[in-house]
Amino acid sequence: MRDLLGKTIRHAAIAGLALGALVAVSVGAQAGDMVKKIAVLVPEQGTDYGWNQQGVDAARAVAEKYGLEFLPAEGLGYGDVRPTLRELADEGASLMIAHASGYNTAAPEIAQETGVPVAIVDKPDGLVAGLVGDYTLSGHDGAYLAGMLAAKMSRTGTVGIVVSGEPPSWNSQSAGFAMGVRATGMGTQIVYAVIGPAAYGDAAGGRRVTESVISAGADVIFGQGNGSSFGMIQAVETTKAVDGGKAWFIDVIGDKTGLDKGHLLSSVLWDMIPVYSAMVEDLNSGKFGTVGYKIGLADDSVRLLKTKHIPDDIWESLMKVRQQIIDGSVPVAEVYDAEDVRALMTSVEAPAAE
Amino acid sequence: MGGLFTETFVASLLFGAVTVGIPLLLAGLGEQISEKSGVLNIGIEGMMLIGAYGGFVAAYYTGSFWLGFLAGGISGMVVASLMVLFCVILSMNQIVIGIALTIGAEGLTALLHHFQFSRSYPRLSEAPSLDIPGLNDIPVIGPAFFERHPLVYLSILLVVFVAWLFRRTHIGLNLQAAGDNPAALDAAGVDVKLTRAGAVLTTGMLAGIGGAFMANVGAGIFVPFMIHGAGFIGIVLAMLARGNPYWVLLGAALFGASLALTTALQVAGLNIPTDVVQMLPFAMVIVVLVLFARHSYLPPSLALPYHRGER
Repeated sequence: MRDLLGKTIRHAAIAGLALGALVAVSVGAQAGDMVKKIAVLVPEQGTDYGWNQQGVDAARAVAEKYGLEFLPAEGLGYGDVRPTLRELADEGASLMIAHASGYNTAAPEIAQETGVPVAIVDKPDGLVAGLVGDYTLSGHDGAYLAGMLAAKMSRTGTVGIVVSGEPPSWNSQSAGFAMGVRATGMGTQIVYAVIGPAAYGDAAGGRRVTESVISAGADVIFGQGNGSSFGMIQAVETTKAVDGGKAWFIDVIGDKTGLDKGHLLSSVLWDMIPVYSAMVEDLNSGKFGTVGYKIGLADDSVRLLKTKHIPDDIWESLMKVRQQIIDGSVPVAEVYDAEDVRALMTSVEAPAAE
Repeated sequence: MGGLFTETFVASLLFGAVTVGIPLLLAGLGEQISEKSGVLNIGIEGMMLIGAYGGFVAAYYTGSFWLGFLAGGISGMVVASLMVLFCVILSMNQIVIGIALTIGAEGLTALLHHFQFSRSYPRLSEAPSLDIPGLNDIPVIGPAFFERHPLVYLSILLVVFVAWLFRRTHIGLNLQAAGDNPAALDAAGVDVKLTRAGAVLTTGMLAGIGGAFMANVGAGIFVPFMIHGAGFIGIVLAMLARGNPYWVLLGAALFGASLALTTALQVAGLNIPTDVVQMLPFAMVIVVLVLFARHSYLPPSLALPYHRGER
């Protein structure tokens, strides 16, 4: 009887060990390849030379980098994306990147419902370990350089900021731009105008407001706004500055050099590949949803576009400041609140000491 | 910041107000015609969007703004013909079909734009203007109102024409009867469905021209989703106008002026939340609604399909 009991215990122990090993191997394999398919949802087509295109292109590049299946969902608009999220989850997406601040209510809900991790934007306090990650991207340090460039290139002493909404990412860039203008100590005025509440695709509004800002004296426009930025460009191309000369445009996120008719001064370029790569790696290592993701000058995920219109001496001075920002000797504050941004605009009227 | 309010700046604001107001005026007039006949045309946003796309394509390839507006009007009518088919002929729910048409138009134009223009984003040149001698020299007002594309003047004249049409013609009476008492109109020997179909097609044409104006004159470019609710504002203006085209003109002017004012307040550096400033045009519409809605007149048969012999 004791023999039988000992045998049973031994067999049970061996079976337990084998089962444990099997489970461990299985879990390890799952953790190692947790991400198989990566989906990205964007409100407009990924061909806007801006926010949507950068998001889609970066997700595609990350899918290729890690050998993942890529599931793009473009042109979804700014309405309810819950059905699309559910569909992508059904298709087996391992990560759904909801690439619009307007999606950051629906996406976490669907993540809870389906168990598929989502990445949302502009909601840094919305993290849920393993389920919801946030990337509140800001090129504020790049915008700071753009502000310095605008002040140095302005003939009228007035520059303009036109935005199609006030999401945190753009607020911080508007603020960075204003701080850059101030840093030159040239007493440059800043005219700030928002096209409308979430007027991201309002090209006609972009043109109308930009024309007014140029008429108010601005000869350099820092424009932020998906589809509406094409209206801003149209305004810059067809409206003369108050001194009768050319108006300049500084874009954000993408590179519109291929569309330029001679008015594109620069762009604060964003590269989201490092961010999406980090998401995939964090999912695989079980850290997803515990930290937010950022971009910056140091790894060139934020950089200022060099065009032929920027004089070499100005460019060199900007690159020196860039290095100082990376070193930390020139701090650029991150300002995300719209009210703080506006306060910064009005205070710019007083010339800042160099 | 007071120094920013130069003659050039104020003229630019007024110029922008007129540019915003014209598509709203055309959409509002179109909606008014449709509603008068008893068809609630929720699909006007989609008609404007298709009109914007068709109008831009025509203007871009032919170089003619006029052909652009013509194509915009025809494009709007094509969408309106679907409204006629489903709502007037097949008596389906006007609100559901209207929403479906708008969503369909958004998807279709986004897709067409993707294949045709999404790598090149072509822009049109500045719209040609017809200067009114003597008036265009008036400071501030002159450049804003009297150095415009001829379609602006025609749109204003259209208000007078529609008012005349409503009050002085059999067509106006038939439209009114189709919305008020379609059975009576039918008894008088007038085809109710034909009357409504004509009204809806006219709405489509005006909405399409309005959309083409937005793309060709307002933006100089077509981008997906660019109508941005102008069609829905047109519906509100039509409802507020109580069947009077002059009220549509007033509402469109009010909305355009409010939008210009929002820009002015922001440029002035007013340290109040932008959301509050941006709310102004919509608040203005709500205030007008509160003040005048109780007097607003909607045809008793609005949104109701007509079936011959049905009581």
